[in-house]
Amino acid sequence: MSSVLACMDVFLRDGLMYSILALGFYISFSILDFADLSVEGTVLLGGVSYSLLVCKGVNPWLAVIVAFVLGSLAGCVTGLLHVKLKIRPLLCGILVSTALISVNLVLAVVGNGGSFNGEGALSTISFSRNDPTVLRTFPASLIPDKTGAFNLRELITFLVVALIFKWILDWYLKTKNGLLLRATGCNEQYVSMLAQNPGRSKITGLAISNGYAAVAGALIATSRANANQGMGIGMIVIGLASVIIGLSLFGKLRFLKPTTMVILGSIVYQACLAIATYLGVPSAYNKIIMAVLFTVALVFSNSIKKGASKA
Amino acid sequence: MIEFIDIVKKFNVGTPDETTLFDGFNLKIEKGEFVCVVGSNGSGKTTMLNLLCGSLPVDSGKIVLDGKNITKMNEYVRAKYIGRVFQDPQKGSAAKLTILENMALADNKNKRYLLTPAINKKRMDYYKSLLEECNMGLENRLDVQVGSLSGGQRQALALVIANMSDIDILILDEHTAALDPKSSERIMQLTDMFVKEKKATALMVTHNLRYAVEYGTRLIMMDKGRIVLDKAGEEKQNTKIDDILYQFNQISIECGN
Ligand SMILES: Nc1ncnc2c1ncn2[C@@H]1O[C@H](COP(=O)(O)OP(=O)(O)O)[C@@H](O)[C@H]1O
Ligand SMILES: [Mg+2]
Repeated sequence: MSSVLACMDVFLRDGLMYSILALGFYISFSILDFADLSVEGTVLLGGVSYSLLVCKGVNPWLAVIVAFVLGSLAGCVTGLLHVKLKIRPLLCGILVSTALISVNLVLAVVGNGGSFNGEGALSTISFSRNDPTVLRTFPASLIPDKTGAFNLRELITFLVVALIFKWILDWYLKTKNGLLLRATGCNEQYVSMLAQNPGRSKITGLAISNGYAAVAGALIATSRANANQGMGIGMIVIGLASVIIGLSLFGKLRFLKPTTMVILGSIVYQACLAIATYLGVPSAYNKIIMAVLFTVALVFSNSIKKGASKA
Repeated sequence: MIEFIDIVKKFNVGTPDETTLFDGFNLKIEKGEFVCVVGSNGSGKTTMLNLLCGSLPVDSGKIVLDGKNITKMNEYVRAKYIGRVFQDPQKGSAAKLTILENMALADNKNKRYLLTPAINKKRMDYYKSLLEECNMGLENRLDVQVGSLSGGQRQALALVIANMSDIDILILDEHTAALDPKSSERIMQLTDMFVKEKKATALMVTHNLRYAVEYGTRLIMMDKGRIVLDKAGEEKQNTKIDDILYQFNQISIECGN
């Protein structure tokens, strides 16, 4: 019984933490129809920058904001490559995430006391027991750390952060600028006819979505108590699968906002992974299961789309 | 006044498929004119509109609007002065947004799109009154996604949207082609009303010779990137379908359709 609860604790935590990444993908993939691969780099950028600042004693909430800003800047680069140099979305993402491998490595090594050659120190940033992560700082520190099998403080903190970022996005999408972003995703020429630059709108969207990815990176680092250079791997599948599962599984429930569906999708996806682990599937097979689940979600959402167009 | 001066436009430059559509194309349209454009398929009507709106660049030549050279101006910058309804009903609005959201966006044209609420409930009655004029029941469906409307309804919405801001030029590209005869008639009446109301300069491409004769103050026929017939003023008012039908059939037959 207690292992069931422990399993729940894991997937709720992971689901909430990755839901912010999924919200980012909701912007780039669902709204802008832009398959953004730069996220592998920006999640890590968020994790590394946040961890560095926390280890230097900076207020962790401020560090989350810095992570967001840095992620957004990386997203702007992706957008600029696409809009100004007319490079295809997939390639823009590959270019930016590749460049970020070096950036993140050097950033981490320098933060650990190494040189700007990227040598002379570890590339993984680990928190010590006293480092003030978001979980050890006001207001999260007021919440009891554990109740039974649940890491209550972590769950509540991640839930609140996820909800805050969901609400910000909900609010933004109802502003003039946000509505223009949604219009850009379905009809760029229409946006041009409104005398607005659709390129600018795209860059804005990619900046926000990569900012969200970086914030997810900060939470992942908090939860794992470190930021290592492999952290970004698999983030595209996690984010996209969460969005697609959320929108196809809950799409019929009209009272739910898409952003809520995406958060639920992220939790469902992590629950499936956790159940696989619970059933004894070795963790080495994790990525296969992720890919299979993603495939199922894609097929599922395709069949829903077909059904809808027939109706 | 709109001026096309010595326009050259080629497609697929540098490939075996290179074609020259316009080779020294000239056209001058006075302020307030309502120009009906007819011509066979592929004669360059849509391309002419794309060049004017900046959706396509010219290879050489100038496009001048009220004395200002706009040849190098971006599409979205020119759009300040232009309202446009495309041949394809899907192009005139955003499918995933509701009617209300589309109209709220268009209502804000030529202002800034900042972080303020997009929808102003006080404007709803105004939007409804605009939609009522289309006679398609759209006024009761403000919260419906535009993607689920019929082609005719979407085209009517596109026409309303194109006219929501202060425009100097109205561009219409076979905007009634996708509609049933009754909706088509209604949309034409609305178009005429908007043009008169806005005192806009209008350019309307149509395949319907009756509309070309009935509406507008000037009639142009195009063929292979050239203007082969141009009637304005009294001459245009006295033109009957039969007068242009023969010539239209000639160029259409040449093209094989
Ligand atoms: N983007 C394009 N690429 C290549 N050829 C084009 C393009 N747009 C138009 N054309 C060519 O220009 C000619 C005129 O097209 P268009 O202006 O659409 O004609 P119309 O609207 O009068 O039917 C056609 O023969 C077409 O093949
Ligand atoms: Mg055409």
